[in-house]
Amino acid sequence: MANEVFDVLIVGSGHAGGMAAKVLTEAGASCLMLNAGPVADANRNGERKHAYDLPYRGFHPPQQVPHVFQATEFNANVWVDEREVPYTYDPSQPYNWVRVRLFGGRSLFWSRQSFRLSDYEFKGKSHDGFGEDWPISLADLDPYYSRVEDIFQVSGKKEGWPQMPDGNFIEDPDVWSGSLDRLKTAAAKLNIPVTGQRRANGRDGLASSVNLLLPDAEKTKKLTSIANAVVREISVDKNTGLPDGCHFVDRFTGREMSVKARIVVLAAGTLESTRLLLNSKLANSSGLVGRYLMDQIYGAGITCSVPEARGGNAKGLMGGGAIIPRFRNITDKSPNFLRGYAMNIWSSGGGMDARCFAAYGAELEQKMADYSGSGFHFGLMGEVLGRYENHVRIDPVKTDAWGIPALHIATNYTDNEFNMAKDAVATASQVAEAAGFEVLRKNVMPNPPGYSIHEVGTCRMGDDQKKSVLNKWNQSHDHKNLFVMDGAGFTSAGWQNPTMTILALSMRASEHLAEERKKLNI
Amino acid sequence: MQRRKFVRILLSVAAAPRMLFGQQQGKQPLPAAAPVPWSAGINPRTPLPTTEAADLVAIADLKFFTPAQMRNLQRLSRVMMPALNGKPGAIEANTPEFLDFLLAGSLPDRQKLYAGGLDWLNSEAQKKYKLDLFALTDDQVDSLVKPWLRTWMSDNPPTEAHADFVNIALDEIRMATTNSKAWSQTPGTPAGEWGQTDVYWTPIESNLAFVLSKQSHLVQPHVAAAQAPATPIYKR
Repeated sequence: MANEVFDVLIVGSGHAGGMAAKVLTEAGASCLMLNAGPVADANRNGERKHAYDLPYRGFHPPQQVPHVFQATEFNANVWVDEREVPYTYDPSQPYNWVRVRLFGGRSLFWSRQSFRLSDYEFKGKSHDGFGEDWPISLADLDPYYSRVEDIFQVSGKKEGWPQMPDGNFIEDPDVWSGSLDRLKTAAAKLNIPVTGQRRANGRDGLASSVNLLLPDAEKTKKLTSIANAVVREISVDKNTGLPDGCHFVDRFTGREMSVKARIVVLAAGTLESTRLLLNSKLANSSGLVGRYLMDQIYGAGITCSVPEARGGNAKGLMGGGAIIPRFRNITDKSPNFLRGYAMNIWSSGGGMDARCFAAYGAELEQKMADYSGSGFHFGLMGEVLGRYENHVRIDPVKTDAWGIPALHIATNYTDNEFNMAKDAVATASQVAEAAGFEVLRKNVMPNPPGYSIHEVGTCRMGDDQKKSVLNKWNQSHDHKNLFVMDGAGFTSAGWQNPTMTILALSMRASEHLAEERKKLNI
Repeated sequence: MQRRKFVRILLSVAAAPRMLFGQQQGKQPLPAAAPVPWSAGINPRTPLPTTEAADLVAIADLKFFTPAQMRNLQRLSRVMMPALNGKPGAIEANTPEFLDFLLAGSLPDRQKLYAGGLDWLNSEAQKKYKLDLFALTDDQVDSLVKPWLRTWMSDNPPTEAHADFVNIALDEIRMATTNSKAWSQTPGTPAGEWGQTDVYWTPIESNLAFVLSKQSHLVQPHVAAAQAPATPIYKR
């Protein structure tokens, strides 16, 4: 067993790695999956508690995860501890790298919003002249999206909008309340589309590789998995120059180990896969590994109150969520920015956030009581353009807990993103006021890059190997047996949550890999 | 028959010294251990001991604020989060003392925000009323603080000087108070304000317990190599 050479080594166990494992094992390949963290068991590791029973009353434990805005004291231990796996950036360029190393990775905790990219993303350069087109189109990915949507039980309403392609949906179970109707009517007068959310329902409330993908792979008896295996570098056959496995270190004992495989699939998450390539000095004849880091701007938005819902009148009027898909730069041309944004909308019959009111003491308590049950929220998801200068590289000094060189992240938002955020907040306010809502607070400043947890790019795909790292099959231009199947391969970010596209790309690339293996081309 | 008798005699002879020894010691042979683990005794008939939150009972040493800063923070907390409608306020919830503990371990920019903010507010009190902040009336504190109140969205506090401290302090004084045991266990709930309850994830096979314990002799060398994040930014 210790000398076994696997057909495929898969680094990472999230959506991309899970899909690769499912497809490849079902095609008969023996696969070894390495994951840098442990298996989490909510029944064993989770316990319902009051905040007052925790040392920090629900606040972040200081310094453990200072960049994970999503963390609380309750869930601080599921995120990567930044003291264990640090990264660096220039103080003028803060970056929130939000990571999970549990088995299943971030697929355990994602928001489950499920969108396809459209040809406004795949062929963005052809539409507006910026960046590069992907080497594939929606038509290429359409059958894979459909199968992924079936596995993940994606719900939604078909609208026929080209910028938000329909999918293989189950019926939308979400509430559609009176406040959403009012919003939709007001938006229609401004030619702004509104529809229900598109969401992966998964099974039992979970839409993870852990429950939807890995069990199928394990059924084949072709999958071997190792937990707490922190990969140090990809190893290379001295005779062929091709990747032939990896060296990894046991997270607890520090024991250094190696495994061999004929094919290597990286699916550790965009920046971890790229870090591994940079540390291994592989796949970089283009010099573009680490370049064109993208994500989406989040954090800008508005909060409103629906006046008629106050005083305990929320029933039927409040609740549910919707989405405004991209509508800018489709048929018109915005003078201030390229590409576009979407807005998440949610109507809440619960208590209001105290930060909606510039008050304290008795005055604040009275306002919170008066406005309770009337909250209506708009949140921005905007495309970040792919720029060469936005990049990651290996920090020459800093290492992680196992001596593996850390990543240095250098990325900025530009006027394109800031102008987009301003436009979104102005538009949301206009629509809300037209619907008769009271706008309580606005924010035009996006959260730091990385916050959306939708980091993509840094190993972009393309037909020209001088301008890209991967070909259209997520395969390294330089090493035919090396694949990067997570978000690193994205050529543009789009406004959409990238998960469905990562899954569809991983399925497509894995099936191609399995076919090529049969033909002995790899 | 004779053979059976012989065997019986042989057995009784073999057992005799042991029986005699037992009698000499005044002990009977020990019964076999019961096949029940000790943990089975922890059951509803034996309730677990109840414990109290330490800061409801004990006084903590100041770790971060100076005594003067603490007096000013207590004054600010009493104004921002007073006891209302039967619910305890920040003082009753020991919020200032909790914030001292939280800030003692926080990143430097956070510490600077609070220490600098309290000192600035005290200097404003001196300028306007020739008194320290803790000696002002509620109306006088209001006159210094309210002009700086802003509405803001989570993760995006105001960034202008002074408004940042005032609004972040207000937010954290509220959260520390509503998440306190004193608040959660007092009947009566203002709109939307419950003490937070959620699933707490324990450390999952973490080896960082060594680091957190600060017992350096137990820290594995590779973990000791890990350092604090490069650049702190705002986050509670």
